[in-house]
Amino acid sequence: MTLSVVALVATVAVGIGTYAMRSSFIHALADRDLPPAVREALRYVAPSVMAALVVSLGFGGSAGVGWAEIAALSVGGVVGWRTRSLPLVLVAGMATLWALRAAL
Amino acid sequence: MLVPVVPFALVLGLAIAESPLPNLVGWLGSSLIFGGSAQLTVVTLSTEGAGLAAVVAAGLVVQTRHFMYSAAFAPVFAGQPSWFRWLGPYFLIDQQFALTSLRVDDPPDSFRRYYLTVGLAFWVVWQATVALGLVVGPVVPGEWSLDFAVPLLFVGLLTAAIDSRPALVAAVAAGAVTWATLGVPNRLGIVLGAFAGIAAGVGASRR
Repeated sequence: MTLSVVALVATVAVGIGTYAMRSSFIHALADRDLPPAVREALRYVAPSVMAALVVSLGFGGSAGVGWAEIAALSVGGVVGWRTRSLPLVLVAGMATLWALRAAL
Repeated sequence: MLVPVVPFALVLGLAIAESPLPNLVGWLGSSLIFGGSAQLTVVTLSTEGAGLAAVVAAGLVVQTRHFMYSAAFAPVFAGQPSWFRWLGPYFLIDQQFALTSLRVDDPPDSFRRYYLTVGLAFWVVWQATVALGLVVGPVVPGEWSLDFAVPLLFVGLLTAAIDSRPALVAAVAAGAVTWATLGVPNRLGIVLGAFAGIAAGVGASRR
């Protein structure tokens, strides 16, 4: 399968799955609630998936990661931790990358 | 609320434009998935050559939080007409949930008007900004390295998600297991790492 076919099929599948999740309790399960254990587990989905993605994309990819990129990602991480603002993470990280590339 | 949506959609559009994938992936994803993290996950992983199973599994796991929104809104939607119960869930993105859950005690028809107004506003801004990224992407000089915005965005989403000690434990465990399973083909290590992280987070919260 080519990259594009994988992307297209996955897009359709994730799209259908997303609507199914968004409508699940509104339609089929209207008289039920999430079991507490499931609700608890769902709280840790975002930090787990994002950490897995960052590690896999950062260390498992074909692209070489240099010191400027590592520094920029670290700055982005600190800014995100302090401010919780995506726009600021993007601005600070990109500015760090450009500044280091210009200086080195 | 609209502020984080705009750079996110722009980065997504740019990432698709600079990937080897056809722009159709962008158009289709923005309308079918209508969810930034999941769409960016699908686009990035398939560009990196991950297998179909890993791409779909990672994309779906990212979206599981929507079960919570759906469960929270089930009683609110129960008093709404059938067409709205079919159409409404489509707009149920994170920001939509955050904004409209403040108005659930409104009368049903005024809640419905507010929900649809907010949902359509997010939808239009999202589609237009992703489209802008798709169009602008090929024109942006390569030296700007705008593709680097994608890992930055994931780092931003990660730091935003770490809001408690168990969440930090979950992230560290997920990262470690993913790192240890980098050799697993088709990037299925992401799925293994995610489940290990969720288990570690639940374990840490019970102590």
